Amino acid sequence: MIEFKEFSFRYREGAEPVVKDISLTIPDGCFVGITGAAGSGKSTLTYAINGIIPHCYPGDFYGAVSVEGCDTVETSLTDLSRMVGSVCQDIDSQMVSTVVEDEILYGLENFAVPWDEIPARVDEALASMGIEDLRDRTIDSLSGGQKQKVAVASVIALHPKVLVLDEPTAELDPASSVAVFDLLARYAREHGTTVVVVEQKIALLSDYADLLVIVDDGRIRFADTPDAVLAHSDELLALGVNCPRATTLMNALGKQGLYDGPTVRNVAQAAAALQEVLA
Amino acid sequence: MIEFKNVSASYDGELAVLRDVSFTVNDGDFVAFVGTNGAGKSTTMRLANGLLKPTAGEVLVDGVPTTALKTSELARKIGFLFQNPDRQICCNTVREELLFGFKALGEEGPDAEARVDAMIERFGFDGDAEPYLLNRGTRQLLALASIIVLAPPTIILDEPTTGLDFRECVKVMDIVCELNEGGTTVIMVCHDMEVVGDFAHRVIAMTAGQVVADGATFDVLRDGAVLKAAHILPPQVTEVSMILGREPGCVPAVAAANTVPQMVEAVAQAKQAELQQVAEAAALADDVLAVLAAEQAATAAAIVEASADYEAPAAAMGASEEEGR
Repeated sequence: MIEFKEFSFRYREGAEPVVKDISLTIPDGCFVGITGAAGSGKSTLTYAINGIIPHCYPGDFYGAVSVEGCDTVETSLTDLSRMVGSVCQDIDSQMVSTVVEDEILYGLENFAVPWDEIPARVDEALASMGIEDLRDRTIDSLSGGQKQKVAVASVIALHPKVLVLDEPTAELDPASSVAVFDLLARYAREHGTTVVVVEQKIALLSDYADLLVIVDDGRIRFADTPDAVLAHSDELLALGVNCPRATTLMNALGKQGLYDGPTVRNVAQAAAALQEVLA
Repeated sequence: MIEFKNVSASYDGELAVLRDVSFTVNDGDFVAFVGTNGAGKSTTMRLANGLLKPTAGEVLVDGVPTTALKTSELARKIGFLFQNPDRQICCNTVREELLFGFKALGEEGPDAEARVDAMIERFGFDGDAEPYLLNRGTRQLLALASIIVLAPPTIILDEPTTGLDFRECVKVMDIVCELNEGGTTVIMVCHDMEVVGDFAHRVIAMTAGQVVADGATFDVLRDGAVLKAAHILPPQVTEVSMILGREPGCVPAVAAANTVPQMVEAVAQAKQAELQQVAEAAALADDVLAVLAAEQAATAAAIVEASADYEAPAAAMGASEEEGR
């Protein structure tokens, strides 16, 4: 379980707190999507989970954040990193090796995973991301999307209890983005892992998240099921969050008195709803 | 104008990442390149601005092969926004970053300063801010601004909306549209099909280093074979309309809608037509009922008349019988 209790944080160089009075409980195994406008505090929330705040970015820390019952201020970054696997927004800053296989080996070796387990872990991680063919490629020769898959694979190989990913599909094509979310959801189900994803692609979050969190100006404005959150499309737009186009379409039809059914999240639901409307 | 004539390219001299690619981008075009990661889109962009030279074929910019043009000459003709702005940003302040291109081209001076000031105002930047302390979206905007401040006739945008929130995305694309309307040629690599559908006039779809489709945006994005070959999904409203279009009797406007307003109007018209049909059916039913009622009334009248005809003689007969007694 991840728990934020009245958490606020101001970076040392910042004039004001970037997140304010956050209280949120994330149960084990929950798939959480966090979105919001740039600068709203999304990434800061992930730094508070993996301990980057306050261990690497000093500042004024108020309230408490705990992961699996461990207070993130009192727990060392090393211990936290064994529980929380992180994929950074800037993939290049995460890469430490020159070859893909070495990149995946790096974390396993540093965590002292038994040597005879390592080859299977590497194979599993590469296969789960569908990048077996990249094993011997140099990192520099990869596209941005391929690097993102390698970064996710290198974290998954460590079998963390919590996965925190900051825009893991930013440079991926739509099919690969869906593939990554499929993998994350399947991985979370199979391992009981809690997944926290910061993402601008709200259509993806809506389809996969159990809990959708909308952050605005450092505060949580919505934290509910995707259906419940997307029902507020006008308010979301005012916060700089654009709903999936299928949702926008059905909400627009609703305003014209042409649809009064439940909130729609995706193309399949919109097509089915419209078939009924037009029947 | 940028022409690709049977272009092939490789990074290591062995593995061809682009194979026999040909297309022409005319002045003033707004073209989006779509396809999966590794399809060759970014390589195509690097060839277009001369960062990469073809291993076969020719890339011509305004009729001159890129192999015959100096980097500075190409930089004046084509502005390039990298996928990752951090590969582009190299100065200590926003103002210095915006002036960097002028310095590199040896064009510093009051005109450059004035254009930088205008760009700072247009984007709402703090000129003294340190670029690396800005968030990703603002760094992306800064990278774009540092290109368009030089007013190149063509801009190449490699994933211009990646990492941007909705407002930033709209801001970037509004500026790009404004430039295109002013005559700037725009070539954009983009995974976001909503952005492609909203803004591009033409789409070139690529897969495995080859062009698989080149045409008007929605001609390409509605072609099932192309979508399958390039592993792409159309914009959501387009996909909804394509699904509905497969239903027998689907209203043509619904099957052709590509935007929210188009679909809302098409559905409203379909419902209006449905209501019209219902009203017409109701009117017809009223007419039928009226005819039936008239017929019924006539029948009733005839029965009454017939009864009267029957009852009168009968009454007369009864009266005569009485008289006989």
